[in-house]
Amino acid sequence: MNTWETPKNVPMESQFRGEVLIEVKNLSVEYDGSRALEDISFRLKHPSLLVIIGPNGAGKTTLLKSLLGLVEYSGEIKIFGKEPEEARELIGYMPQRDRVNANIPLRVKDVLLMPLLSKKIIGIRKEDVNRAKDALRTVGLLHYWDRRFNALSGGEQQRVFLARTLAQNAKILILDEPFSATDVATKMKMINILHRLKQEKTIILVTHDVNPLVECTDNFLLLNKRMIAFGRVDEVIREETLERLYGVRVPVIRRENVCYVVGSDVHVHN
Amino acid sequence: MFMFTIDVWLLRAIIAIFLIAIVSSIIGSYSVFRGSTFMVSGIAHGALAGAALGIFLSLYFFHANYLLVALAFSILFALGIAYASHKKENVDVATGVMFALSMSIAILFLSLIREYASVAWGLIVGDLLLLSQLDVEIMLVSVALIVLLFILFHRKILFSIFDPEGALSVGINPWQYESLLFVMMAIGVVVLLKGVGAILVYALLIIPAAASKRISSSVSSSMLLSFLIALGAGLGGIFLSIYTAVSPSAYAGLIATTIYFLTIFRK
Repeated sequence: MNTWETPKNVPMESQFRGEVLIEVKNLSVEYDGSRALEDISFRLKHPSLLVIIGPNGAGKTTLLKSLLGLVEYSGEIKIFGKEPEEARELIGYMPQRDRVNANIPLRVKDVLLMPLLSKKIIGIRKEDVNRAKDALRTVGLLHYWDRRFNALSGGEQQRVFLARTLAQNAKILILDEPFSATDVATKMKMINILHRLKQEKTIILVTHDVNPLVECTDNFLLLNKRMIAFGRVDEVIREETLERLYGVRVPVIRRENVCYVVGSDVHVHN
Repeated sequence: MFMFTIDVWLLRAIIAIFLIAIVSSIIGSYSVFRGSTFMVSGIAHGALAGAALGIFLSLYFFHANYLLVALAFSILFALGIAYASHKKENVDVATGVMFALSMSIAILFLSLIREYASVAWGLIVGDLLLLSQLDVEIMLVSVALIVLLFILFHRKILFSIFDPEGALSVGINPWQYESLLFVMMAIGVVVLLKGVGAILVYALLIIPAAASKRISSSVSSSMLLSFLIALGAGLGGIFLSIYTAVSPSAYAGLIATTIYFLTIFRK
């Protein structure tokens, strides 16, 4: 039943290609009097894939929310030269799965269309429906269009949320733990989708699962309130930086340009 | 023959049931979806405090329609809970606190208004067959307002209660729409208060919505079914009460709960 297809709704946008898309300078965030983020600075080019890793409570979600302009911060964030609040049209955001209310009898199509519909009072545009269907086809769940969202498994719900960000047709995808409830096969398929999408879009994601991403990630950001390291796989996925990040020794095995972080999930090649 | 002798009290009761069914469909469903059904009960008792205050004002200061004072009081109650929810307080806890506060105020004014306290106590039980013309007019305007707000903001409210972070990310302030929903709940509760009373608000507001949610596959079918169950329970209650000397809200509550149990057994 699962048919995974090449994303059809990837827009051809060359005007921003290679430009600096996101610029973060001296970003700090305070929550209830304590520092959640301290002095974060980095730059991202468009398109690219950034993976943020770090221990629990390291401020990963807070960093994503700052990029969306959802928390108060000091320092500077520019997205295509705009403030985060002004750049929301450019961003599709996928929250953590357990942050949504499972008590509402929504169908999959309702969830997919919600961001698009919420901009209008009544009516629905045919192109929005088509875009949502294309997005659902991309994650291999088109046959669930009329199904009840709550009846889906955790992994399937996450794929619907990924499709929802795709249907928004955003240039930037911000994904908070997109694979936390998926099995290995689904995870690898989702990563293949991201691998293709990053030809056109900038993707920023938070995960605890580094291994399946090492080959397609342009930059890793190691975060524990402060920025421990930022750079390519071979620069930052090292035992010494990971030990600084997590506070314990984390063995890294390297073989034929592929590294494997022991303790993170099993690395499967397709 | 019966149709020709239908009296104005019965007609008002039937109109009120239609209005209550609309409130059940919209407000009842939202409350069940949001998981804030305790708040409905809390607001109903908050309204009682407002009614007692209204009667107190009428007796000693100036004329005030106690139902409208109850409405204003319930809206304040709802905004108080919305504010506490915004400050990360659990909605049930905030409701409990407001519940205690408003019952204290209610008892305070009830003891001050003495012989007129029965008017306010009438709102605890309510009576569909004793609605005045003004009561029905207030209900009609309130329901029209709820329907208007529903049409304008349904999508944003639903997004806000389903996925507040997702809503924020597209520029919708979920707190604002949650507060709007709470105010709509306050208006809806007061619509039911005079008809079925604070104790049975739950029977006609929450139970039809809870039963229909169990057997519906979408938001719209759940809301439609909730309307039909509330309507059936209400009309059934009125017609049964015509033949026996029992308050219609008792029958309506029994019919609604029976339907709910049937949906439980069905699964």
